[in-house]
Amino acid sequence: MSVKVFLRKIFLVDLVKGLRLTFSYQRPDATYTDQYPLERPPVAERYRGAPRLNNHPETGETLCIACNLCSIACPENLIVVGWARTEDRKKRLTTFTYDLSRCMFCGMCEDACPVDALELTQDFEIASYSRKGLIWDRQALEEGPQPTRYTR
Amino acid sequence: MLANTIEFLKANPLLLALIKILIVFGVLSGIVAYLVYLERKVLAFMQARLGPMRVGPWGLLQPVADGLKLLLKEDIIPAGADEWLFLLAPAISVFAAFTVFSAVPFAGNFYVTDINIGLLFILAVSSLGIYGIILGGWSSNSHYPLLGALRSSAQLVSYEVAAGVALVGVLLISNSLSMVDIVNRQLQMGVWNVFLQPLAFVIYVIAAVAETNRNPFDLPEAESELTAGFHTEYSGFRFALYFLAEYTNMVVVACIAVTLFFGGWLQPFVGVRALSLLRFTPFVSLIGAAAFVLWLGLKSWVPLERYFFVSLAAVCVVLAALVLYPPVLNAIQGIFWFGAKVLAFLYAFIWCRATFPRYRYDQLMNVGWRWMLPLALGNLVVTAVVRYLVGGHAAATQAAWLGR
Repeated sequence: MSVKVFLRKIFLVDLVKGLRLTFSYQRPDATYTDQYPLERPPVAERYRGAPRLNNHPETGETLCIACNLCSIACPENLIVVGWARTEDRKKRLTTFTYDLSRCMFCGMCEDACPVDALELTQDFEIASYSRKGLIWDRQALEEGPQPTRYTR
Repeated sequence: MLANTIEFLKANPLLLALIKILIVFGVLSGIVAYLVYLERKVLAFMQARLGPMRVGPWGLLQPVADGLKLLLKEDIIPAGADEWLFLLAPAISVFAAFTVFSAVPFAGNFYVTDINIGLLFILAVSSLGIYGIILGGWSSNSHYPLLGALRSSAQLVSYEVAAGVALVGVLLISNSLSMVDIVNRQLQMGVWNVFLQPLAFVIYVIAAVAETNRNPFDLPEAESELTAGFHTEYSGFRFALYFLAEYTNMVVVACIAVTLFFGGWLQPFVGVRALSLLRFTPFVSLIGAAAFVLWLGLKSWVPLERYFFVSLAAVCVVLAALVLYPPVLNAIQGIFWFGAKVLAFLYAFIWCRATFPRYRYDQLMNVGWRWMLPLALGNLVVTAVVRYLVGGHAAATQAAWLGR
């Protein structure tokens, strides 16, 4: 044992080093925890979460043209698109059902959509108290999940 | 009215002592409850977490919730347990831990008693607490508690020796066993004992951590090996008693260390005129606390929490203003410095827990017997010799010898 090592042992240098490290972790910005319902963690840019049916930002009418492509693209067959013909024989969207309980968020439906009406958003708070609550109708899809949001 | 009360209390010293005991017990119970909160918070921050946040603002009501939970839990006595000892053991631990405070001087004018064998009394009573652990472990009629109890008895006995011998060095310097005299002696000498007995201090602190069964010496309750150690079979209120005893013991060793080595209730640099402004530290720290609390309040989301923190800050400011009033400032000097030092020690204990991994059992025994005890003995011998040569005893003894 060299003198240096001996002195290190006597004066507990390694212990002091460890103490310094743990002490430095007390600075407020070192904290890793998110106060979840109060602040939301940022999700990844390409995260695929709750589905949404987009409306036209100005007119407020749905963008969906009821082409049924999403329903065909869905590997789980969980999308049901309901439509009616107008007088000039145009398809108009009437109902839209999306069964989240079976959804695996593969994103095929939003890829298939020719008018960007259906979109998997970054919302992740889609839990429900019942299985029925996971089957979203057109209104739920247009509104999206409505969690309480807190501000400072 | 007030004068009458004081007269009455002077005529009935027992009643006065009882009042003091009640104050000390009540305040200490609260402090110990919030010590658990402090520990959880500091540990969490050192591990980049936040700790309890959900019960009350910043988790401030967590100790209350924990206490309630423990009180309402089912009280289980294992089959085959020695019932009386099982019931008695936690009470012994708590009793021993709290009795010690009767001899601890919290300030120059506030202590329950000043026994002339104070330190001896403290060491004797606090080592009684081991019985609580051993009996609890044995009477549970279970393997893990028994193993924990055995470990703890061996560990406590080994480290008690080193700690005791280390403390004798301080006694040699201060010429007294009374805790009050030890502090007054440090005031006379104008230097804290830690600067005269650094080795004894280090040994005592290490031994104290071992005696309170805390990390890195928490082998009696090493959860990865012994489930929970000696209190595995305890639940509800009895478990709470053990918990209380453990944390009270932490405060006890911090109090002893502060009194013996860090000048108890004395203000630092009490003789230096240039630093007499240190008297205003209570004021400054209260203002600092107010600023901190205000900052927390501004950061919080929930309106109720914001109001709470802002009003707490206001209370701090009012207290600070009150403290500026000279009689009050003088009155709280002792208790403030004592409290601040004890708090620093408690923080250091928690800090150690966050930093160091647990020792292996043979390492623990090695450190205790092959390092701590010889070092403590060496320290004692050197102190005794120096004391003999410096303290004037040498001349007297020489005269006695030569005269013969």
